[in-house]
Amino acid sequence: MINDENFDQKKVFLRYNVELEGPAVKPEDDEEVAAILPTEEPFREIALALLYEDMDKVATTVKKALDDGISPIEIINGALMKGMDGVSALYTKGTYFLPDLMLAGDCLMAGVKDCEDVLGHKSDTKGTVVSFAAEGDPHDIGKNLILMFLRAGGFEAVDLGRDVPADVVVEATKENKPIMLTGTALMTTTMTAFPKVVEALKEAGLEVPVGCGGGAVRRDYVESYPMSFYGVEAYHTPKLAEAIVEDKATWEDIRKKYQDIVGEFVSEYS
Amino acid sequence: MKRFTQMAYNEPEEMVFGHAPKPIKAIRDFELGAGSVVPELNVAPGEGAENSLEKMNSEMKNIAYSACQRAVGIGLPAFQLEREHIAQQTYNPSWGAENAQVEVSVLEDFQEEYGIKTGYRVTPADIRDEEKGTPMIGSEQYNLVMETMELCAENGASFLSIETVGGKSVSDYGIARADMKAILFGIGVLGSMDMQNMWTEIVKIAGKTKALPAGDTDCSQSNTSMFLGGGLTTKDNPHTLAAITRAMGAARSLVAVECGCVGPLKDCGYENPIIKAITGVPIATEGKDAVCAHSDVMGNLIAGVTDVWSNESVYHREEMGGTTPQVWLQAVGFEAALMNSAIQMGDDYAKSLRDMYTMADKYRDPQALILAYDNAYRIGEAITKYGEDPYLRAKYAAIEAGTIINEAVDAKKLLLTRFEKDSLDSAMKTLEGLSDEVDAFTKECIKRYKRKVQDFDPKSYEL
Repeated sequence: MINDENFDQKKVFLRYNVELEGPAVKPEDDEEVAAILPTEEPFREIALALLYEDMDKVATTVKKALDDGISPIEIINGALMKGMDGVSALYTKGTYFLPDLMLAGDCLMAGVKDCEDVLGHKSDTKGTVVSFAAEGDPHDIGKNLILMFLRAGGFEAVDLGRDVPADVVVEATKENKPIMLTGTALMTTTMTAFPKVVEALKEAGLEVPVGCGGGAVRRDYVESYPMSFYGVEAYHTPKLAEAIVEDKATWEDIRKKYQDIVGEFVSEYS
Repeated sequence: MKRFTQMAYNEPEEMVFGHAPKPIKAIRDFELGAGSVVPELNVAPGEGAENSLEKMNSEMKNIAYSACQRAVGIGLPAFQLEREHIAQQTYNPSWGAENAQVEVSVLEDFQEEYGIKTGYRVTPADIRDEEKGTPMIGSEQYNLVMETMELCAENGASFLSIETVGGKSVSDYGIARADMKAILFGIGVLGSMDMQNMWTEIVKIAGKTKALPAGDTDCSQSNTSMFLGGGLTTKDNPHTLAAITRAMGAARSLVAVECGCVGPLKDCGYENPIIKAITGVPIATEGKDAVCAHSDVMGNLIAGVTDVWSNESVYHREEMGGTTPQVWLQAVGFEAALMNSAIQMGDDYAKSLRDMYTMADKYRDPQALILAYDNAYRIGEAITKYGEDPYLRAKYAAIEAGTIINEAVDAKKLLLTRFEKDSLDSAMKTLEGLSDEVDAFTKECIKRYKRKVQDFDPKSYEL
């Protein structure tokens, strides 16, 4: 059996993240989060429930606020979205992790739905994005992350699922009038579905930027066909969508200014 | 079906690479686990090849030919080629069959000319998809998978494998949310149940041909957790959760052997050292020479008790050192040569190399820790103690993995981030509080996840 008594691990590997870990800070005490969270009740209580990913508490506090006659729109924008912005900030700096993001996203969706039930219609969003995993590709974790980041960022995200043929994408584009499409693929033999989607969209007279990314997908391949740009990280998606909505960025603009839009160094675009 | 309730070895120290208590011999005199480690190569077709059968045949021939050429060029005594199907090869069973014929023909030509021993593993794509709402057994996709298996077996496959996807919708939901109950239900109950259905049929198919039923992998579940976990500094899934998920995956992938699989278990099944400890069948593993496909944090350790050393997958293209089949076969081939040299120099050398591989990663990460051969053996014991019940053995494999991690943390050998430790504590609390009654657990999970997981329909599993 192995005798590892005198084995100096640090000569073999280092756990940088453990070594550099600072003291634990309550999520609401983080400087950036503190600046985002509302100070007035009941908005703060709802936002904190979401920040702590407490589904039951989100449901009860939202219901109470609605019963008290507070506008559903105010609850969505002033409490739920603020809490989610706090979660996104903590995820971006590495304090929160994927499960936090997913659970908070579930809380957000449930809270928004309760508000919309009272409102009687869907709440306004920044825009609609349609997402699909390429035809022939059963891998969809990347697409699911994109959906979650988009919803957390205030966009309506339509999920077309896995193994989606081009004609289904075209129909969904006609129906939902998205500001952008996202396509994901793990394999090089399925990323070839992307130009077919673009071609089908063009044949149908539809002009909409298609963000393509995932596993073995390469920038040079994506840029070999029109109306597309290469997406690197799932969490970049809301920023790219915002650039389209707010700055009227085209797919050509995104190709040229990707790093500026997402606000960080991206080696694939350097 | 006989469940495993005993270990194949008396103690973990007996385990070493290249030797399996139940070695196998396939067609073309191809032996595994009989005293040497064999390299395995898998190369995916390049983009555009999927557009026609003619292009696929040409691609297959090129891959097989350049692999064989490099194999004899560096003097490999034996190697295994894997054909992991893209969807088109399984959706069109005649493609899979013809592609197999093309590749086997090249292997046979080289075997005849040079005497090099070759194995050919075919892994049809599991094209069944819960999202489409079709039953897991008996659907059109299921029938296509089985037809492809049969045709490939008839056309020269030495080994049949598949990466089954039963339970994936629920385990994916659980992995993304660190929901231990969902993960256990997806892997330990749904995954195990689906494997039994699939492998009972595949073993029958193999029995009608010269192909051997090789084995499965928990790729669609445990590897999802591992990939999301990423490197040591990534901020997605906790590695403690990935380790616990892997232990459950061992209890699940074991079902293939219980149905009649003889190995080599599929390369991307990082849980395979645990299953080798239980069953004694030869296993394939992958690590530092599979970085072309993905990154793991146990690139050396996972070689410790392997029998087939694989590159996982790489796209067919040119690199500076040749085509990817040539380059990556050379990488796995030289690593296998190192292991085989140690075996030839004597048992002490082989075990020393095994221990060097192991110590290079054992405390790097909790995922590596639980797969070190001594700990893999402990998890195997937890599985065999509850061997008759796939749910219970997955649950107790998970608890044993958590216990192993906590012991290493207490001994100050393994370092965890606060996130990893909190996740482990939470997972252990959930696991220890679960019922030991599979029916009660299943009933509760169906009620809970039918509502939460859009793609999960209990009827697809006849539940």
